[in-house]
Amino acid sequence: MLDQIKAHLDRLRASGATYVDCRWVPSEDANALTMWNGNLKQAASSRQSGVGIRVLFQGAWGFSAASDLSDLGIVFDRALENARIAAERVTFPVRLAEKDSVQDTFISPCAVDPFEVPLAEKVAFLELLDASLNQRGVQQRMSTLDFIRKQVHFADSEGSEIGKQIIEVFAHIGVRGVDPEGTAHERTFRLGRRGATRGWESLDLDHFRENAERIVSELNQVLQAETCPVDDRSVILLPGIMFLQTHETIGHPLELDRILGYELAFAGGSFVTLQDFGELRYGSERLTARADATLPNSPGSFGYDDDGVPAEDNLLIDRGILVGAITGRQMVEEANAKAQRIIFPESSGANRATAFYRVPIERMTNINIDPGCDGTLDDIVARTERGIILDGDRSWSIGSNREQFHFACEIGWLVEDGRVIDVVKNATYKDDTLRFWNALSAVGDASTWEVVYVENCGKGQPNQVMQLGHGIPVCRFDDVRIGE
Amino acid sequence: MSDRFLETLSHLRVYALDKPCEIAIFYHEEASALMRFANSAVSLNTTEHLIRLEITAFYGPRRASYEMITDLSEPAELRDGIDIAAEMVKHVQPLTYTPTVPEFRESFCDEAAYDPALAELSGADKLAVFNAATTGLETEAIQLSGIFSNGANTIAQITTRSPHTQVFRTSDAQVTMVLAHSNKKWEVQAEQSAQQLLDLDPQALREELGFLVERFTHDPAQQLPLGRYDIVFGPAATATLISFMNWIAVNGGMMKRGYACLDEAQIGEQVLSPEFTLADDPNRRETYPQRRDYMGLPRTPFPFFEEGIFKGFAWTQDDADEFGAEPTGHTVAHKSLSLSGGGEDVGTLRALAFVPRDGDLLYIPFLHYMNVVNPTQSLVTGSSRFGALLLKRDGSIVTPYNVRLTQRILDIFGDRLAWLSQQTVPYNTSSSYGARNPTAVIVPRFMRVNDLSISHSNPTF
Repeated sequence: MLDQIKAHLDRLRASGATYVDCRWVPSEDANALTMWNGNLKQAASSRQSGVGIRVLFQGAWGFSAASDLSDLGIVFDRALENARIAAERVTFPVRLAEKDSVQDTFISPCAVDPFEVPLAEKVAFLELLDASLNQRGVQQRMSTLDFIRKQVHFADSEGSEIGKQIIEVFAHIGVRGVDPEGTAHERTFRLGRRGATRGWESLDLDHFRENAERIVSELNQVLQAETCPVDDRSVILLPGIMFLQTHETIGHPLELDRILGYELAFAGGSFVTLQDFGELRYGSERLTARADATLPNSPGSFGYDDDGVPAEDNLLIDRGILVGAITGRQMVEEANAKAQRIIFPESSGANRATAFYRVPIERMTNINIDPGCDGTLDDIVARTERGIILDGDRSWSIGSNREQFHFACEIGWLVEDGRVIDVVKNATYKDDTLRFWNALSAVGDASTWEVVYVENCGKGQPNQVMQLGHGIPVCRFDDVRIGE
Repeated sequence: MSDRFLETLSHLRVYALDKPCEIAIFYHEEASALMRFANSAVSLNTTEHLIRLEITAFYGPRRASYEMITDLSEPAELRDGIDIAAEMVKHVQPLTYTPTVPEFRESFCDEAAYDPALAELSGADKLAVFNAATTGLETEAIQLSGIFSNGANTIAQITTRSPHTQVFRTSDAQVTMVLAHSNKKWEVQAEQSAQQLLDLDPQALREELGFLVERFTHDPAQQLPLGRYDIVFGPAATATLISFMNWIAVNGGMMKRGYACLDEAQIGEQVLSPEFTLADDPNRRETYPQRRDYMGLPRTPFPFFEEGIFKGFAWTQDDADEFGAEPTGHTVAHKSLSLSGGGEDVGTLRALAFVPRDGDLLYIPFLHYMNVVNPTQSLVTGSSRFGALLLKRDGSIVTPYNVRLTQRILDIFGDRLAWLSQQTVPYNTSSSYGARNPTAVIVPRFMRVNDLSISHSNPTF
């Protein structure tokens, strides 16, 4: 198969294509199990295989994909034909940043392949999770296990050949109850990074049981709590909401394709402009953020992106100043040309496709915030006069240029004079993105830093779901509107 | 239509009959094409031909499924799929109820919503539509983005219960055109949904884009003060709100799981405005309807609200099995939601802009990134986007920066609902996550809702 692919790469180059690549996925397996109130509502497995061909012709992209590989040549030809049509309307001919030709393989760290674990054992594990949630006050209990195993062969007309085998494990538990006014509330826990590998071995029952006890207890507190007041306070974000804040208001606005207007018809643009790099004070001096695809054992670490560029640890915000973006080969060339200066010396290796039948686009890797020097969570609370601690993502809504946002959380704890006083329900907060990050007044130390996995980041047309991670500490922001 | 896939399904059924469990086979074939525009160029031109096979095994109260993106020329691989599902079902935990196995008492084929001319539209044809709709509107600063997505969907089903099959075939297109100012950051949009080639009307797109570009080029821009406004929603915004109703108001399973704003005691009660009549109407071809559900139940118009009176929940077969309800023919990938028009004769944006009014009207065509803050309270939040206008009482027009609304849907469609336009349009709500599933909602061209609060107002575009 690889020989056939290479022959077609050469054939299309000879037909006038300036660049061609192929992602052949011999197999991508998935296994999803969902238990709801003791019922195994979903026991699903899947397998997909096929090729995706990307062709650059006279500065325009064409793409074609098929699951039927009986005539591979047709799929390549269709991609070239699509590029020829696209070339009829070009305003900025696509160029690709330089990269090295690579022959390599990447295998994600895994001790026990979850696809080798018998289904009955997985179901038994879910039953134990469900049992741990079956407690007073809980009306609905949910547990999910999701496993992914994908094999990808990448080859391009520049001589790169890269093989990847990636295994992902995602797990989640949640409980739902109803307060005396009839309003439903939810408390959830999702498995983050634990240890050096991410196979079946990462599912530690004791860890889930501890967190089941915690979320059930917290749900029962919420059910009895008063409603979050409308107020301006310091908000202290725990990792269960801090990851989403980082994702939506640092990750997405710094995708270079958004900044260059490639998502305007759907997902939206970015308030960031090319002139802002090196200049814009994005946040307070306490804020240092990076896109780190080299972070061990995370879905945002994948060895090589789908341009064939190696993973990088790429600084985005340095002590509050915007310095970098989430980039691929095409966008860095266009950005540098439009800015008439070299902002991005090379691709940061963040161009990824969700499946063989989708084209790679700029995606978050691990968008992390460095731990700070403001101590533990207790230290931060002790130095907070009027605040609220927030956790759990209940809903999120962000402006089309990522300039403002509104988040609802599962739980809040009011803080007065350095002490936690009350739990509140229906906690929300909202702000303008830049004002918010510039109001960052405390960043927790390494003891507060966690890696949270995201399995369902959506972007692009056609839509693509991507997996990634966020390494984030506890953070405090001042004078934020809550309760609306 | 080629019947190769039907032969394959029949062969697989024969193979499945030897298994100790019941088997249902769901075939999905999509031929998808998408031309994407950015910065006034074609940024991507794609075609995908994908065949999915989902095999569900039933063994009394046990159920398991296996899905493949596959190739019909590999029969051994297809049979492996049946083996895997049949093996999986042995090891899963029994449900607390017995799921119903689909059973088709006759073969059924519905191709009424299929137009090959639309499905097979060439790349050159799509480019011509975009060029016609934007002629003279682009400048160095005002640049075109958008998509032209079109394709064909074929769904087929067979089960071990009978040799009969169900086949559904549709064609669809979704056209979105955005003109955005690269420096000033404003953006305007025009959209069309098509089920057949004749539905495409580049001139109507040109008219709407031209009107909006004129407004945003010449009329003053403004940050709106926070406060209460009478708002006219465009079809995209109304369709989004209706889609959320579908999720958190009329879904029986969601209600039973505590994630809904209505309950069974409200059936037969006046819960919304008398102006509000919403049905699932599979006779509307513009919604890519399925006139049988995946269990074989005939689908006929199903009222959710009649003049504001709540008529009942939609029940999928699985939710009905679990909660002891009657299935309502809603085991489908998408409903055919249709919100009836009202009494106001306003068919175009230009007509809306110049209609006499007794106060300021805020026109919001599109709600971006709406999400549910509190399902029980029907509380949602989202921001305006794509060409909002403040239609001043004195007849002048202001182009406002985007604003955020955080509101209860039951209020929006309840006593705050002032009027709906007579004219209705299909709005395409298709998502291309996963398998192609063309979906459209029929909504009035305009909907006026009074006294809604703006909770955030941007200081710039």
